[in-house]
Amino acid sequence: MVELLFEDIFTLTRIDPDGKKFDKVSRIEAHSEQFDMLMQLDVNTEVYPMSVGDKFTMVLAPTLSLDGTPDSGFYVPGGRKSLADKFEYVMHGKLYKISEESSSGPDVKVEIYASFGGLLMMLKGDPSNAANFELDQRLFLLMRKV
Amino acid sequence: MAMGMVRREEKLRCTKEPFIEDVGPRRIKSLRFSMFSGDEIRKLAEVQVWNNKLYNESAKPVDHGILDARMGPANKSGVCATCHGNFTECPGHFGFLKLMLPVFNVGYFNLILNVLKCICKRCGRVLLSETERKQFLKKMRNPKAEVLQKNLYMKNIRDRCKGPRCNNCGYVNGVVKKARGPLAIVQDFGKMLDKSSDECRAALSHLRGNQSSQVLHVLTPLTVLSLFKKMLDEDCELLNLYDRPEKLIVTDIAIPPLAIRPSAFVDFGRSSNEDSLTSILRLIINTNSFLREELEGSGYLFKCWEIWAHLQTQVVEYINSEAPSLTESKHRGLIQRLKGKQGRFRGNLSGKRVEYTARTVISPDPNLKITEVAIPILVAKVLTFPERVSCHNIEKLRQCVRNGPFRYPGANFVVLLDGTRLHLKYGEKKNVAAELKYGYIVERHLEDGDVVLFNRQPSLHRMSIMAHRARIMPWRTLRFNESVCNPYNADFDGDEMNLHVPQTEEARTEALMLMGVQNNLCTPKNGEILVASTQDFLTSSYLITRKDTFYDRATFCLLCSYMGDGMESIDIPTPALIKPVELWTGKQLFSVLVRPNANTRVYLNFTVKEKIFSKPDRACLTMCPRDGYVYFRNSELICGQLGKATLGNGNKDGLFSVLLRDYNSHAAASCMNRLAKLSARWIGNHGFSIGIDDVQPGETLNQQKKKEINDGYRECHEFISLYGEGKLTLQPGCNAAQTLEVKITGVLNQIRAKAGDVCMRELHWRNSPLIMSQCGSKGSPINISQMIACVGQQSVGGRRAPNGFIDRTLPHFPINSKTPAAKGFVANSFYTGLTATEFFFHTMGGREGLVDTAVKTAETGYMSRRLMKGLEDLSVHYDQTVRNASGGIVQFVYGDDGMDPAKMEGKDGIPLNLDQLFMKIMATCPARDEDALSPSEISEIVDNRFSKYDVSPEGGCSSAFKKSLSDFLNNHVAAFKKTRSALQLDENYVGSRNSNKIENVAANISGITSKQLMVFLETCIYRYHLKKVEAGAAIGAIGAQSIGEPGTQMTLKTFHFAGVASMNVTLGVPRIKEIINASKNISTPIITAILNSDTLFSARMVKGCIERTVLGEVAESIKLVLKRQASIVIKLDVKKSEDLRLGISAEIVQSAILNHPKLKLKPDEVRVLSSRKLRIIPNVGNRSKLRFGLHTLKSMLPKLVVKGIPTVERAVINNDKGRHHLLVEGVKCLESQDLAFQR
Repeated sequence: MVELLFEDIFTLTRIDPDGKKFDKVSRIEAHSEQFDMLMQLDVNTEVYPMSVGDKFTMVLAPTLSLDGTPDSGFYVPGGRKSLADKFEYVMHGKLYKISEESSSGPDVKVEIYASFGGLLMMLKGDPSNAANFELDQRLFLLMRKV
Repeated sequence: MAMGMVRREEKLRCTKEPFIEDVGPRRIKSLRFSMFSGDEIRKLAEVQVWNNKLYNESAKPVDHGILDARMGPANKSGVCATCHGNFTECPGHFGFLKLMLPVFNVGYFNLILNVLKCICKRCGRVLLSETERKQFLKKMRNPKAEVLQKNLYMKNIRDRCKGPRCNNCGYVNGVVKKARGPLAIVQDFGKMLDKSSDECRAALSHLRGNQSSQVLHVLTPLTVLSLFKKMLDEDCELLNLYDRPEKLIVTDIAIPPLAIRPSAFVDFGRSSNEDSLTSILRLIINTNSFLREELEGSGYLFKCWEIWAHLQTQVVEYINSEAPSLTESKHRGLIQRLKGKQGRFRGNLSGKRVEYTARTVISPDPNLKITEVAIPILVAKVLTFPERVSCHNIEKLRQCVRNGPFRYPGANFVVLLDGTRLHLKYGEKKNVAAELKYGYIVERHLEDGDVVLFNRQPSLHRMSIMAHRARIMPWRTLRFNESVCNPYNADFDGDEMNLHVPQTEEARTEALMLMGVQNNLCTPKNGEILVASTQDFLTSSYLITRKDTFYDRATFCLLCSYMGDGMESIDIPTPALIKPVELWTGKQLFSVLVRPNANTRVYLNFTVKEKIFSKPDRACLTMCPRDGYVYFRNSELICGQLGKATLGNGNKDGLFSVLLRDYNSHAAASCMNRLAKLSARWIGNHGFSIGIDDVQPGETLNQQKKKEINDGYRECHEFISLYGEGKLTLQPGCNAAQTLEVKITGVLNQIRAKAGDVCMRELHWRNSPLIMSQCGSKGSPINISQMIACVGQQSVGGRRAPNGFIDRTLPHFPINSKTPAAKGFVANSFYTGLTATEFFFHTMGGREGLVDTAVKTAETGYMSRRLMKGLEDLSVHYDQTVRNASGGIVQFVYGDDGMDPAKMEGKDGIPLNLDQLFMKIMATCPARDEDALSPSEISEIVDNRFSKYDVSPEGGCSSAFKKSLSDFLNNHVAAFKKTRSALQLDENYVGSRNSNKIENVAANISGITSKQLMVFLETCIYRYHLKKVEAGAAIGAIGAQSIGEPGTQMTLKTFHFAGVASMNVTLGVPRIKEIINASKNISTPIITAILNSDTLFSARMVKGCIERTVLGEVAESIKLVLKRQASIVIKLDVKKSEDLRLGISAEIVQSAILNHPKLKLKPDEVRVLSSRKLRIIPNVGNRSKLRFGLHTLKSMLPKLVVKGIPTVERAVINNDKGRHHLLVEGVKCLESQDLAFQR
């Protein structure tokens, strides 16, 4: 069985906080229920439209194969059974940076950055949630509206 | 000269080869130039020339004529009468012409004059006392004295020889002078005459009134010659002459060989066309024979003089036809043949015409590699390379020989072992091919892969000529990859370029190593990359990497195959979007481009801020909403839209620079090749054009522009009305009109900038000009603004349009109008069209630009030449010193740090970009399960490494570098501590990764493992040592080019002085010229005076002391009083002087008047009446002169400097964050007595 790195249900709060810059891609801002995480994510809204108030499950996994075989990073065509089957929107990318939030308050937050071929994600929350992540890790982001 | 005539002697035949001792290479110790004496000229010559006729009736050269056949063959058909050689064999022989009377040589005229000044005009001895003569002789004979030193001695001797009486014979010498008129020397006895002549003059005085007492003796060449012959050898030595001085005088003329002054028949042999030299010599022969007739006959003496002078002029013309003593000359003299760009030295010896060269129009071809140049087949058939036949190439060369000179992969010549050349145009090609043997040389056509040199004029820097690999292609142009446009500064609007083919393997290798494109990607000026993507490549990369470009599998694979012609193996990455559809992004395409497959071991790591970058509110820089932050991590493009900063030239941390430094030139070059192919093909399919709708402003844009312009105009009108009322607050150092100009210019420039901002904001992202300006491929926001919104202010000479009519620019405007429109502000855009007056102002600006470019090419060209001539011999030697050609040390260590500027990676010329390097090490050596180091462990490792030899100054590591490295690591440690304290972990003790989850997070954020640290340190130190400048580097030439080349791109204008309005400072080319000329008086000297107490008050005080104050400014009145005793009364304006804190009292004015050099007033003439009143009563004996004296005094007094430094124009107070200091326009601040300067 695959070991998921992160799983939570998010509510979409804002779309394109800095104004719409791109036709097909929007930056969404969402809050999670369970771990109180803040997420900024670039989503291809052309193929997966989203609107404010949408609730969705978001999962981060190191591989898509159900038995947990690590991902090679290269494209393998063919429709095998995978984790993606249960989700509507799946992206593949790489974790490139972990940092602490610049404004240091009493409870510091950790930011996790990933890039899915240029579509960026920032996940901000408690340091304990970041423990599973490693730099340069291959990540699969899976989403499903609830 | 004598070499040509000596016929080769038969070698002495020996039964055994005689032993000749090899003394090794010899060194030329010295070279000395001298003149031929008349005897020597006669001995050298084969024939005496005296006949002024050229050809006889049968069109044969006349004997003893100027074209006598004994002086060599006159043309290809002729044979030399002396050596019987033909035109190619015989270099020609000299003739001679005996002058009846000697004449001066213009070239030596000043030398003759100087020698004459030093010697007695009767006995020819030097006019020095015996002791002095000995002293000087000793100095002159000192072997250590250099040329300049000796010239100085000579000058001293000349000064000492002023005494008229000769110590040897007692003759009284006159002053030797150049006479007026053509080339003559006279001796002036005017001052030497004793009392006897006084009597004489007194007796004559009633005859001719006030006549000057000049008594002149002409020193003819004949007398000078006899004087020089009398001179002792020792005296010659004393006067710094290496040879007998009589040789300076022309007695015989060597007639040059016919080969250098050919005679050609024109008009079917009816007349001949003679060389300039022949014509002048013919005239000289004529005059000479006249002179002989006059001398031998009983001619009048007066006529002889006239002819002699004429002969002198003609000989001058023969030597230097541009001599100042000549009025005008149609001929080219000997000097003119040698001098200048077209002269023998620069035109024929340094700049010869060569073979194996091609020149045609150039055109672009992105399918070529950056190292290649496409050569048309037509050209390849003419340019050949001599290839020696060996077992490896015999079959290929056989085929070439069989093809012959007219079928492409052919050959033009075959050179046999004995050196005979077979032309393949004639004869049996098949037979030659069959008989081809090892060792033969085949001059085959150019083929793919041959090394050629490619060049475009003007060759301003060494990258203007580079070695490429040939690619033989059809059609007629030379083609190359657009990426290489930059170093050549080429475009394809009809430019032509040259091509040369090196003819030996050694030359090829050398060319490839030193001049190969791959080895010249960077400019040696500062290490910026020069060969990089341009124009369309940037545009398409920008569009491909947009965040919303997605490709399905078919398209993505097609694009992947574009970059390698479908021949490279490519690993397709997992798509960024897997569900709902598999889609790849454009950024993934670039990741593939940098690292196409797993076997390519290129891990690129760098970050760049693009032009469109804007800082995100909170969160990391990568989250830039406009995607302007480029981040490559392990050859994956994480984020950012690529533009000029990443891919273009002139940047040190772009993609290609990093590839070049971290890997090698091959990696960078092949990446450029792939990018060129991909983007050219991609943009061909995608399409990119510009149309009228791209420059049509929208409704909102129009309104905003209107608002901006109205606002600006209103502001300007307010300023103008304030100015009219005289209420404008003045800016420091400006008068009202200047202030108005400054303010209006500021407002108007703002309008265009704001209009540009609006355009950039309002335009759709697909707008082509917008895309081009954002990615940096072409155009700026101002260009877009000019097309769409507003053309803006037109300037001429850095100002608004000048008044061409009386008090107005054009008759369309009211007199003295200062409104924006009347002074050249163009409110329309190129799209809306310009009004008549706007158009006229626009042409004024345009004309200035054209004139500027025309002037600057000539100006900077000459500047570069002088720079190059001055620095060409400087190079680095093996002991790291910079020396000139004679071995003199110029600098002990090049640049004081011995670093090669071409290899500097960081900004401002620091050797390494530590941030980038650290990032690369951290990304390429992952921590895995290793634990992070604690701060104390880090410093221990660093100290340990720093104590080794190669980090010490003796080991060649500068302390600055060591410091920057340790500072960098300290910063990193500080960041690490901060992270740990934020995560509530112990700052100094680091636990194991597995023990604590939070430990793991901290390590991931900013931890560094021991392996990473070691690799980082080793890489830094290893790379630092590679960056030393190589011994033998021609740094003088590089330096000259690095200054000269940017000069051509500078405009000649002066630029505005930063910070303070109204203070202009000369920059750019004029300033460089000043520096090179070492001008004493520079055009805008500015002194920054830092004050000990930097308050505004003290700054005003100092300003009052420095700035020049004239009496007219502080005087209430200067009156002429004619009551009782005529005098001038000066009343001071005390209030004004107090307001300005000048502290001027009547005493100060008094002393200023007394110290003035021209007024010449005595203390009792200037009386102080009260603290604010003075009276000047000039004490003039003659009452009639008093009136005018007082009036001139009155007119001079207002300009009298009473306070301040006369050489200072003005001083401006500059406020730098509350600290005031002075900017003084002028020189000699330190000479002021009122101020105490700390040096």
